[in-house]
Formats: sequence, structure tokens, C-alpha cells
Amino acid sequence: MDIAYDQGTFFDEAFESDGTPRPHYQSLISKFAELSPEEFQQKREAIDLAFLQQGITFTVYGEAQSTERIFPFDLMPRVIPKSEWDHLSTGLKQRLETLNLFLHDIYHDRKIVKDKVFPEEILASAKHYRPEIAGLDVPKDIYIHICGTDLIRDDQGAYLVLEDNGRCPSGVSYMLENRQAMKRAFPRFFPNAGVRPVTDYPSHLLAALRHTAPEGVDEPTVAVLTPGVYNSAYFEHCFLARQMGVEIVEGRDLVVENDDRVYMRTTEGLKRVDVLYRRIDDDFIDPEVFRKDSVLGVPGLVRAYRKGNLGLANALGTGVADDKVAYCFVPDMIKYYLDQDPILPNVQSWLPYRPDDLKYVLENMENLVVKAANEAGGYGMIIGPVASKAEIAEFREKVKADPRGFIAQTPISLSRHPTYADGAFDGRHIDLRPYIISGKQTHIIPGGLTRVALRKGSLVVNSSQGGGSKDTWVLYD
Amino acid sequence: MLCRVADSLFWMSRYIERAENTVRLVDVTLQTLLESEHSSEDISYRHWSPILSSLGDQELFESHCSETSSLEVTHFLTFSRENPSSVFSCVASARENARMIRDQISAEMWEVINRLYLYLKNTDAERVCREVNFDFFHRIKEFSILFQGITESTFTHQLGYEFIICGRQLERADKTCRILDAKRFMGTVSQVEDDALDTAQWAALLRGCSAFEAYHRTYVSDVSGDHVRELLMLSRNFPRSVLFCIDRLQKAMHAISKCPLTHFSNEAERRVGLLISRLNYATPSELADDKAHQLIEDIEDDLADIAQELSARYMFAEIVDPAAELVES
Repeated sequence: MDIAYDQGTFFDEAFESDGTPRPHYQSLISKFAELSPEEFQQKREAIDLAFLQQGITFTVYGEAQSTERIFPFDLMPRVIPKSEWDHLSTGLKQRLETLNLFLHDIYHDRKIVKDKVFPEEILASAKHYRPEIAGLDVPKDIYIHICGTDLIRDDQGAYLVLEDNGRCPSGVSYMLENRQAMKRAFPRFFPNAGVRPVTDYPSHLLAALRHTAPEGVDEPTVAVLTPGVYNSAYFEHCFLARQMGVEIVEGRDLVVENDDRVYMRTTEGLKRVDVLYRRIDDDFIDPEVFRKDSVLGVPGLVRAYRKGNLGLANALGTGVADDKVAYCFVPDMIKYYLDQDPILPNVQSWLPYRPDDLKYVLENMENLVVKAANEAGGYGMIIGPVASKAEIAEFREKVKADPRGFIAQTPISLSRHPTYADGAFDGRHIDLRPYIISGKQTHIIPGGLTRVALRKGSLVVNSSQGGGSKDTWVLYD
Repeated sequence: MLCRVADSLFWMSRYIERAENTVRLVDVTLQTLLESEHSSEDISYRHWSPILSSLGDQELFESHCSETSSLEVTHFLTFSRENPSSVFSCVASARENARMIRDQISAEMWEVINRLYLYLKNTDAERVCREVNFDFFHRIKEFSILFQGITESTFTHQLGYEFIICGRQLERADKTCRILDAKRFMGTVSQVEDDALDTAQWAALLRGCSAFEAYHRTYVSDVSGDHVRELLMLSRNFPRSVLFCIDRLQKAMHAISKCPLTHFSNEAERRVGLLISRLNYATPSELADDKAHQLIEDIEDDLADIAQELSARYMFAEIVDPAAELVES
């Protein structure tokens, strides 16, 4: 297989600007070069079929019939050398520790607001702030137990933080399944490649969940709370429950009794549950407190949580830190709480709630990326340089109407990676979502989900919008 | 075990068994049609009509399909999305249930159900019906049997396994009753009293239950109605006979409750015990042509009650069986 292509002006993960493979890609590229197109095609088809037969699929909504699709998988793995990974993991640890300190602070003394580092008006208007947990001491002071931080690289190859996903980040099952698929397809690549394993993710997750059990419970019963089989990430919920050896429960399996404890309905009667790894958003988790019409949640769950009878991961109310406006303050938070300089910078951003920034954003929208503060999945955003005049005009009105609801960023020409698309290898834009677990210690799985925009030129890597994924190799050295 | 999981295991298994039995009925009817000399569409529909009646699907069929052709019925029973007990609908429901509990079952079990579903979904339905593709029906049966074998050898034989057995045996006992009942409707459509036809019909029923060989090993005689009923209802050795299935069902139910077989700990157990006694002590006169229908109907009612009681005791409140619901309305 021929892998070389025109790199353009982008930063390419695998090739130096003169077209020679980077050192950590050399052996991989020579192995791919040895493959005949027929062999390559066979392996591609075998992997797709395996994903389909195992039902490793997600649901696409909004089409006439919601359909199940496999998440397209690209065979060429992304490789991260040790030096880069060490830099990333110290930066991610610093960031998650800060976010947990921030959440504890704003739900208690609000020192950061009093010291005018984080604006009061932003907190007051934060969509995902939960007054229900103000003053509540959550187990071990951990709010975000599982974080999926999206990283990108700019045209110089520098890593930047694009967003923090501190509510229910998904995709980790693809990280694990992608590695399995690569091992099946290319068994002889692995023994000498020096790739760090990712398989112990479920055991780290379970340890962190057990760590969040209520005081005095030595052998906690842990369960995964899912919205159910129609949720697009249901496969992942099951996968993790199975890997951890815990029950997967839906809201209707649980009941909160008069003793304010949570039980699951079993064929032998009620059984106590101590910790929930919940994959349901705050809004739906307890119809007594949040959305009254929710049938996914469990009436009384927040009551049990407030009484200290239940551990929840992630905690309620972490969405404040997910807010894209709050994101812009993370570098300030790092200085404030840890007295350190941020190791991983943010993308340069403007905050239209500030009048000067608003003016700049409205005048320069065609050169900016504008995003809704509380949307995800590539929705509610506009990429100025490729948007039509009408779209920009429409977005200007939206931003004017609700300046607090948006941020604007410099467009980053994401790094590219050799990817098989349209019958040949070519450069496609990628990002990286590593998974950080906060338990007794903060642990980062050496790997992550590399998402790739399969459409030529596209910068949107989301699975709902034509994205695929790659195995991510972090090297021992 | 979660009540919801017990419910899904039960229905996953029950739907697979239901799909297999519907395939058996379609397969055997198509085979019979090939043997009959006058194969006008009108006459073929007379063959189908008893099957539809015994499944309780006739009204639904007639409300959905304007043509009463063999091809239409085959399609309705096999592929129709509108018919909740078509083979396709059953397999889709089995898969939905399996998907809800895929962390609880073995990867192999999930994969075989998923493969069966994908196979059905990608099959050219029109072509199978038009060309009367027996290989297709054969493969569906094989998938079902493969699923049973994989369950047997990859799934721990504990509580969940017993719920799988309950679903399968309840459905199988019920379907054997319905297959036997189909004969009654056949009797009423044929205008000429014809012994040869009668024998051919009984032989077809036996084949539908994979019981043809078992019959001939048990009875050294031509196929007779009394013997067929005896084999399919009261045999203690033939795995699709009603008594055999209910006996296996009872053992599974008591394994779940850990209550000795000599006692009962809930209404489902009491009802199943009574039913077994009735079959154990049934006399040949109860199986005679004119009485058998009453017995079969009683068994069907008992089985429905037992399923209801099982569900109330271990699973989620009411049984929701879309097929039954549609027939009632």
C-alpha cells in the first residue's frame, strides 16, 4: 500500500514536512507498505463485519427510522511517543484536579468568586449549576470521577485543550474495542511495537467507583445506571458493566425506600445499591427534583444522595465545569487553586458576554469558530471560514440575543493523519479524547479515542457527522 | 437477579422458540402443498387457513392482506413487520431483549441472535416466498437450535438459565398444542371424507414437530390420529410433547424458587403441578377425537395463566405479549 500523499500546509502526525516518516511512525509505515491492497481490503472488511456482528454500533437519530451503524474504523493507528504522552498526562492531571477543586469551591464557600477570579454573573447564569447540592459534601470531595478531555493539535503540532467533558463522557468502549480489532487484524504488529496496553481501564474505573462509596460501606454494591437500550451509547454501558462484573440497571429497576436508601428489584426481593456509575444526565436522574416528566430516572435518588447513602459518579452538577464559558477560565483556575502555570493551553477564545469581545466576535465572525456554551456533539456551532453569509448572519443574531450562551475561538487547522478514505491513503483531520479517572489517585489510561473526520477537508470528527475512529498507540519509549 | 433481566431472558428465549415454531408450520405447509395435486391458489389457502386460525392470526391476516394466496400467507407469517408474531418480528423482539441484557448473556449467544437477525433482514423476502426456498426455512431452524446449543454450553446453568428454560418450554408446549389444534380446522375445510388425506395431514403435523421418526419408532402402524395425539401430548420421552415440555418447565420453576417438587411456593407452581397431574392421569378416552379439543384448549389456557403468574412473581408486573394483545383487540 502506498501511504504518501500531499501534506499541504497542515501539521501531519506521521510525516515530517519533507515527507519522511517521523521516527515513531517508521516501523508502522513500513509494515503498511508491505501490505497488498487485497490484504488490506480483506482486513478492513473483516473488522467491519466483526463490529457489526458483535453489535458494536451506535444509533443515528433523526432519520426516518433510527438506524444502527458501526462507528467507522480506520486501520492506520495513531501513535504518540512517550515524551508527548508524559507532557499530556501531567497537563490532564493538573486540569482535572483543578476542575474538582473548582466544583468543590463553587458548591461551598465560592472563594474563587469572592476573589473575583471567576465572575459571579457567569456562575449565576450557569445552565448546569445545581443548587440541590450546594453545601453537600460529596464522598472524598470528588465531583468528576471520569473525564474525557478533547485535545487537538495546531499547525505547529502543539497540543491544545478543546473542551472538557465532565458529565458523562462516552467513547471509551471504542478505545477498548478498537485495540481488540487491531490485535485481531494485525497480530504480528504488536509484539515488538512497544504499545502500552489499555485493557485495565475497567478495573481502574471499578476501583474509582468503589472509592466513592458512602462512609462505612466496605463492600459496596456498584451498578451502571443506563437510560436503556434505545440510548445511542447503550452498547458502551453494557460493555463496561460486563467488564467490571457489575449489574447494569435502568431507572425502573431501582427504588428509593422510606429509609432513603437505593435498592434494585431482583427476583429475590430488594437489594441495596451503594454506588451508581450513572450515564443519565442530571436533568433526567430524579423526577422528584429535576424534570418531572422523566421516566428514565429514579424518584428519590437525590434524596438518597443528599443523605449520604449513595455514591454517584460523576457527581451531580458537574456540568458547570463543562460550560464552554467556564472552560475559558480554566487556565485562571489552575493559577488560582494550584499556583501553577497551565501545562496544556486552551484554544484562544473570546467571551461575547464581555462587551468588547462581543463587538470583536460580531465583526469577525467569518474568521472565527462560534459555539453554543452548552451543546456538544458538533451541534450548535458554526465554522466561520466555511459558513455561508446567511448562516453567519443568522448566528450573529443568535449571539446578540444571548451573548452569555456562546464563545468564539480561533479556527485551528487540526493536525492530519494518514487515513484510508475514498480508495487511497490521504491526510484527514483528527482529535484525541483521553480518559482520566479520579479515584484514590488520578489515573490516565495510556491511549484514548482518536476521532477522524473522514470527509476530505472536514474538521468535524463527531460520529453523528461523518466521523470515524482509530486505535491510539501510546509507546513505552 | 434483576426482575427486568429475568423478564428479558424469558422473552428472548420464548421469542426464538416462537420464531422456530412458526417456521416449522410454514415449512410443513409448503411441503404439503407441493404434494397436493390441485394447487390452485384457492385450494392452497384452504391449507393455510387452519394454520392461521390455530395461531390466532387469521383476522389480522385478513385485515392486512387483500389476497388470500399462498405467497401472501408465507410472507405474512415469515417477514411481515405488521404481524407481531411473524418470524421476523419474533427474531427482532428476541434481539431487543438480548440487547437489553447483553452484559448478562455470553457473547456467543448475542452474536448468534444478532446474526440471525441480520440474516433475516438481508434476505430478499419476495424471492424466498416466490421460489419457496426451503433452505431458508432450514437455516432459521438451525439458527434456533444453534442458539439452544450455545446457551447450553456457554451460559452458566444457574438462575438465569432456568428462566431461559421456562420461556422455551412454555412456548414449545403451547405451540405443540396449536399444531395439534390446526388439524381440527383442517377437518372442517375438506369437503370429501378421505382417509388418505387425513393420514397425509397427520403426517404433516408430525413432520412439523420433527416427530415423524419418533412416531414410527414408537408405533408400528400407519399414522393414526389417536396415536399422534398420544405422542405429541403425553409422551415422556419425546422432547416436543406437551407433557415433556411442562415437566421440564416445572423443574425449572422449582429450581428458581428452590421449593421441593412435592410442594408449591407460588400460584404458578401450583397450576403447573395440577396440569402435570391432569396429563399424567389422562385416559385414552380424553384424547379421543371428540374430546381432545377440550383438553387442548384447557392446556392452552393453563399455560397462559402460568406465564402470567410467573411474570407477576418474578418479573415486571403484567406480561406484555404484543401478539396476544393484538388478537384480543
